[in-house]
Amino acid sequence: MNPQQPPAPAVQSSAAGPATWPDGSQPVVPGAADGAPAIRTEGLTKVYRGNWSLKTAVGLDRLDLEVRRGEVFGYLGPNGAGKTTTLKILTGLLKPSSGRAWLMGEPIDSIQSRRSLGFLPEQPYFYDHLTGVEYLEFAASLSGLPGREAARAARHWFGRIGLGGRDRLVLRKYSKGMLQRLGLGAALVHSPRLVILDEPMSGLDPFGRRDVRDLILEQRELGTTVMLSSHILPDVEMLCDRVAIVLKGRLERVATVSDLVHGGSRSVEVRVEGAPVVELPAAWQGRVARVERSGESVFTVSDPSLLQDVLARLVQSGAVIGAVTPVRGSLEELFMAAAEESAFRASGRRRSA
Amino acid sequence: MTAVLIARNTFREAIRDRVLAGVVGAGAALLLLTVIARPLAMGEGTRITVDLGLSAISFLGLLVVLMVGTNLVAKEIERRTIFNLLSRPIPRPVYLVGKWAGFAGALWAVAMALGVALWAVVAVLGQPGLGLAIAEAVFLAGLELSVITAIAVMFSAISTPVLSSLYTLGLFAAGQWSDDLRRFAERAPGAMRPMLDVIANLVPNLSLFNMRSLAASGDTAPVLQLGVAVVYALLYCACVLAIGAAAFESRDFK
Amino acid sequence: MSAIALRVRPLRLRQLVATGVALGLAAAVFATADWAWQAVPRVSPLEELSYYPSGQHVRPATLGHAETAADLAWLRAIQYYGQHRVTDNRFDHLYHVFDILTTLAPRFESAYVFGAFALAQEGRRFPQAEALMLKGCENNPGSGRLAFETGFLYYVKPNGRDLERAAEYFELAANLPGHPDAARRFAAFCRQGSGSLVVAAALWQQVREHSSNAYLREIAERELARISEAIRTGRKDLARVRVTTPVVIVKPVP
Repeated sequence: MNPQQPPAPAVQSSAAGPATWPDGSQPVVPGAADGAPAIRTEGLTKVYRGNWSLKTAVGLDRLDLEVRRGEVFGYLGPNGAGKTTTLKILTGLLKPSSGRAWLMGEPIDSIQSRRSLGFLPEQPYFYDHLTGVEYLEFAASLSGLPGREAARAARHWFGRIGLGGRDRLVLRKYSKGMLQRLGLGAALVHSPRLVILDEPMSGLDPFGRRDVRDLILEQRELGTTVMLSSHILPDVEMLCDRVAIVLKGRLERVATVSDLVHGGSRSVEVRVEGAPVVELPAAWQGRVARVERSGESVFTVSDPSLLQDVLARLVQSGAVIGAVTPVRGSLEELFMAAAEESAFRASGRRRSA
Repeated sequence: MTAVLIARNTFREAIRDRVLAGVVGAGAALLLLTVIARPLAMGEGTRITVDLGLSAISFLGLLVVLMVGTNLVAKEIERRTIFNLLSRPIPRPVYLVGKWAGFAGALWAVAMALGVALWAVVAVLGQPGLGLAIAEAVFLAGLELSVITAIAVMFSAISTPVLSSLYTLGLFAAGQWSDDLRRFAERAPGAMRPMLDVIANLVPNLSLFNMRSLAASGDTAPVLQLGVAVVYALLYCACVLAIGAAAFESRDFK
Repeated sequence: MSAIALRVRPLRLRQLVATGVALGLAAAVFATADWAWQAVPRVSPLEELSYYPSGQHVRPATLGHAETAADLAWLRAIQYYGQHRVTDNRFDHLYHVFDILTTLAPRFESAYVFGAFALAQEGRRFPQAEALMLKGCENNPGSGRLAFETGFLYYVKPNGRDLERAAEYFELAANLPGHPDAARRFAAFCRQGSGSLVVAAALWQQVREHSSNAYLREIAERELARISEAIRTGRKDLARVRVTTPVVIVKPVP
């Protein structure tokens, strides 16, 4: 797609209605079944064969995945789980051993599938002697923007990713954080409809991470589908609509973040100053835990129905209540649970083998 | 066209690289040396300047191909700049052709710069008439370097930088010896002869691009020979790049 | 001294010591190299070439840069000639080197000329000189210059002019491009059968006035001196170069 005019510096969302693309078209509502999904895989498998040995290693095992248009999709897993393998297959850098996949309805072996794709690889490196703007212009024109459009988009995005003012600096002199930002710029400069980001936050300081989060949220406003892989859970939790967890090449679980958050435990933490003497009935054992920390005690109430009674008991004992905080379920729990399950299944297979 | 974009980018990267500037500097220094050594040459100073100048263009060009050209693709793979390119709607053969064209273009620029410098020196030394012969020799050297670059790009697409350099150097040497191979084949026993002939035809016949023996005397090669050289160079480059593209198509980038 | 050392910061002291050591070693290297140049006997620059059986064997090793290799050999040959001319007047390797040189660069006309005359006049090896010149004519059939010089060589042949062959080559030269104007005239002289000293003098005069090769001019000078002496004293035999054991002239190396 070619924008008719340069991308606007800020998303034009307003009270008048949802955000619009620079060319005036409406973005897709997240989750709408409008045509083909943004990404679809069927039985996608990658087996690595050693060069000299006959040993094989499974990078990806029959992945069936679907990413809906307009959503921000998190792709989670520990190192070596197959996240990068999946992304490289989708972007044409690796050939799958078997299975099929489509981007925006186009099969991945056709070049057309990459026409509206923006990809940020893990730890991107670039050409030593180009400047940042030159590189963005190069990237934009390779993705189909005509000459002057490419130049304008390049200058716009160069500023947008926070590198403005350093347009004469050659890439050889960029810091890791700057390279990461530039990579993100190169993924977005041609206004793609699908963006795949491999560890977009890596190498960035907190300001950088905030900027990237803002950029991703902005893209979501525009209706761009974003698939991001990470092993940093808090970022994923904050940004994603749905999350997939992949372990050892297999897809373990797919869930929406809100399901997860509400489906998790609902303990409440009560912070009390000092270390007061409080007697807890035996019936509460296992549902109320107490931890001493410097200057305070923390009572963790895992059964929410007991909360009022616990608070009453504490006040009666003369304790000074500092804070009452719900402990939300987290992605981390989901992750650990999935990992445990997978290990359990694996050992079960071993036992029965 | 995408190939042109990649070619232009590759050309720009190559030109800004210090190696090429160093090469031009080295060539100029060599020319200066031959001028300084004139008194030793007993009247043959201009011949020595022309011969050494032309040899420098070919030799330095070969060095650049071996040091930088073989890295063209392999380094991009190693440093993963290639991920940013191949994840865009670019057919892989187009990428290879673009890389080759850009780098060969940079080498042509270097050859022409040194050729002009050589002619300027020779003109100052009193023989501006050698200009045409020098131009022709430089043109042929450019063709030769284009062929060697294509070979380097091909190896670079399928192998590591170090191995690519070695293979390219080996094929270059074999190419210089193609005439000797043919002469050897003529005298070889029955079974060996067709095999040697085949090898002699497969390696790049670099002697087609070597008219340096004529340049110092100011003679030029017949137009037919120039035409054959151009056609051969184009064919050979196309063939080698096609091989590289075929191998590159199925390559996985882990 | 220790008081100063105490006042200097430790880092600065280390830097000073390191610099001092480096300079000292550099001086030692310099002195050793200088002494080695005096003390250690060196192989003559030309002897290496004499180990090659023929130019055909050297050519493949030049990897396409045969002319430049020939030029470098030329520089060494000049040096060798100059060195031996002032010491023992023996030029044992000269023919072999020029043979290789002209195989590498068959169109290097001056190499044939200088090599032949150096061999004939200084080295007293006419058969080798003749072989070299004839090789030159064979490799450059269109060269009037080489044909003329061949005629010249036969004309001034020590121990008796070969007028028949001289005439043949002077006539050949007259019909080829690049010959000196006097070619036809000299052909006529030869046909007349006159072994005239005046004609010989005229030939050498040409060399003295027009050659760009200082060594050839020296040879011409010597010959002219000998001829004018012979004319003056009326003793023609003085004009002929003696073919006896060469006189070893021991002179201090300048």
